[in-house]
Amino acid sequence: MGLLDHRFEDNFITTNIDKVLTWARYSALWPMGFGLACCAIEMMAASASRFDIARFGAEVFRASPRQADLLIVAGTVTKKMAPVLRRLYDQMPEPKWVISMGSCSNAGGPFPTYSVLQGVDKIVPVDVYVSGCPPRPEALLYGLMRLQDKIRKEGTVLRKSRVIRVGETEPVTVAS
Amino acid sequence: MVKLLKKIFLVDLLRGLWVTLKYTPQPAFTFQYPAERRPVAPRFRGVLRLQVEPATGAQTCIVCDQCAKACPDDLIALGGHREPGHKIKVLDYFDFNLSRCSFCGLCSEVCPTKPVKALIMSEDYELATYGRETQIVRVDQMYDGVPIEQYTH
Repeated sequence: MGLLDHRFEDNFITTNIDKVLTWARYSALWPMGFGLACCAIEMMAASASRFDIARFGAEVFRASPRQADLLIVAGTVTKKMAPVLRRLYDQMPEPKWVISMGSCSNAGGPFPTYSVLQGVDKIVPVDVYVSGCPPRPEALLYGLMRLQDKIRKEGTVLRKSRVIRVGETEPVTVAS
Repeated sequence: MVKLLKKIFLVDLLRGLWVTLKYTPQPAFTFQYPAERRPVAPRFRGVLRLQVEPATGAQTCIVCDQCAKACPDDLIALGGHREPGHKIKVLDYFDFNLSRCSFCGLCSEVCPTKPVKALIMSEDYELATYGRETQIVRVDQMYDGVPIEQYTH
């Protein structure tokens, strides 16, 4: 950094724009409250003062998809609810992420029936699957931290295509 | 008259504010989750875990297939083979599909091995994956536990 020394005023921070953007994204994930079943109770507990999801910057549960970054699908998605969920996801502005919370939204849970969607990833792309029936609030916070970890590795200007290969847990960078 | 006086001196409002004020000086009771882990209840049912003999490290599962039969959602698939030296079957694979599991505990209830129960519900609840393929827990993770990322800010 010898080039930049003493050329600006004091207290001048240089960084790259990717880091700033990812920092802004992962530290202010505004979720949309999409509680559908008992998982929503745990989601509410996670946002209350005992567990305090505000410590991760995700406390502003928005009622409107236009103001939300993160869709927490908490609960059983029935086939009647599925088009609504898809429309709400489409109305969210980019960049947007999805956490599938609980066994029901992960894979249908204990309802392999005609009326329940067998996994919310059939209609929206899911970033993090949180298992549990329902997951504890800590498990949701852990899923949120996993998502923040994922966002931290994303690139916006210097786009790195990252894929998660079958059988692996971490996304890997693909040389393009 | 009394009602009017109550309205003038804002008695109901002050009473409500007093309740708020009583709770204000209490210390915060937030659990700093990634740094401090709340102890789970004694009968908490987390993700499944296979146990070995504590002294020898030998396999305790006898591949009786009862857990797979007890599972209401058919999430467990296990198999083994006989070997000449061993009295019990050798466990080859134990695939547990975590994605649908409702953590009812029927599988570990029916597990017959004594004194060490082969299949238990552990205390791990940090289960978040990036994909559905990784939600199928294989036999090595059944022994060692699902990997947990440590996030301590």
